[in-house]
Amino acid sequence: MNVFSGHISDIQVNESLSMVSVRINEHVTLKTIVVETPETASYLKIENTVEVLFKETEVIISKEDALSISIQNKITATIKGVKKGVLLSRLTLKSEIGDIIAIIATEVLNKMMLVENQEVIAMIKVNEIMISR
Amino acid sequence: MIKAHIHKTLSNANGKMLLDIQLNIKKGQFITLYGPSGAGKTSTLRILAGLLSVDKGQIIIGNKTWLNTEKKINITPQERKIGYVFQDYALFPNMTVRKNLEFALEKHQDKSIVQELITIVALEELQDRKPETLSGGQQQRVALARALVRKPEILLLDEPLSALDIKMRTKLQDYILKVHRQYELTTILVSHDVGEIIKMSDEIYCLEDGKISKQGNPSAIFTNDKLSGKFQFTGEVIAIAQEEVVYIVTVLIGNNVVKIIAQKSEIIDLGIGDKVIVASKAFNPVLLKIEK
Repeated sequence: MNVFSGHISDIQVNESLSMVSVRINEHVTLKTIVVETPETASYLKIENTVEVLFKETEVIISKEDALSISIQNKITATIKGVKKGVLLSRLTLKSEIGDIIAIIATEVLNKMMLVENQEVIAMIKVNEIMISR
Repeated sequence: MIKAHIHKTLSNANGKMLLDIQLNIKKGQFITLYGPSGAGKTSTLRILAGLLSVDKGQIIIGNKTWLNTEKKINITPQERKIGYVFQDYALFPNMTVRKNLEFALEKHQDKSIVQELITIVALEELQDRKPETLSGGQQQRVALARALVRKPEILLLDEPLSALDIKMRTKLQDYILKVHRQYELTTILVSHDVGEIIKMSDEIYCLEDGKISKQGNPSAIFTNDKLSGKFQFTGEVIAIAQEEVVYIVTVLIGNNVVKIIAQKSEIIDLGIGDKVIVASKAFNPVLLKIEK
């Protein structure tokens, strides 16, 4: 699991859903949608320290910052290591918030010609990020 | 309704241990005592039943004092309105099911309770059989019915289902809940099965080394309300396999087996038999209607 610590910087509530922004550092804020509201979850408070969690298998890799894509969370990173399996491969990405692990299909890794030291963008959909206090 | 403060020095495998607990249980509640072997769970039940003496303490049931060492009150097990079910069924082998129940009647007690219990726990077809011809689950149903013959106020269950397979277990759990509600019992269960505890109990007392380490709502104790994932289950790890660049962890949740893809960092201190929380977001699962 990828885990990063940050502070809640914004909460938008509608009925029982909340879109929560978690500021990891100066430049990176991750957004997540949860089935909780500040009334049901005490940790949903501006400035509260929380952890954001997302699975390695939910990280999408792009070589360019495509604007026409429905993914809100984008982090610029450099490929630090590649471990190739037959069907799945593991990428270690160095980013300004720390290392991010991504598991992607080996086929796509080959097709995209992803190699060490290459700059990429790691993307995570808002519904794939969990919050833990 | 049950107020107890128990002090007792016990000898276990690791030497001496002080059992020092306070129970405050409301009438009609279903309580579970949970904790490692030797933590004092069975001793607590035995003390409540009057089968084990204490060094000091008191037990008050409603407005009746069962035990008060200062006032030298200690009523006998027979006078305590308790039903007790053990892991082994302890039925009389030479008596039929019905006779086993009748034997538990008090002098001059109305016999109609026996028929009532036979109906409630569905023993009609088994009532003339001897225990040895019954399955484990059937014998435990007889033991449950027998524990209720004297119309106890308190039902003590010491791992009554641990020898049964999962299907039989589920069935017996339903019978226990049925009698618990029907007879407005206050029930104390000793169990290690997290699914069972969450299903059955209103409150859980976690015992460690003779002390209560945690107390509260079972799902709050066993699930992680600090995590926003709404799709949460508690299960037991039954296998961990490394495949390619990931690990596949097999987890038993109730009687369902699920598989989870994990990373080395997640399995590093995970072993077979460990209890885990399996969590995902409410956004990920899909629902498929099962056609009738």
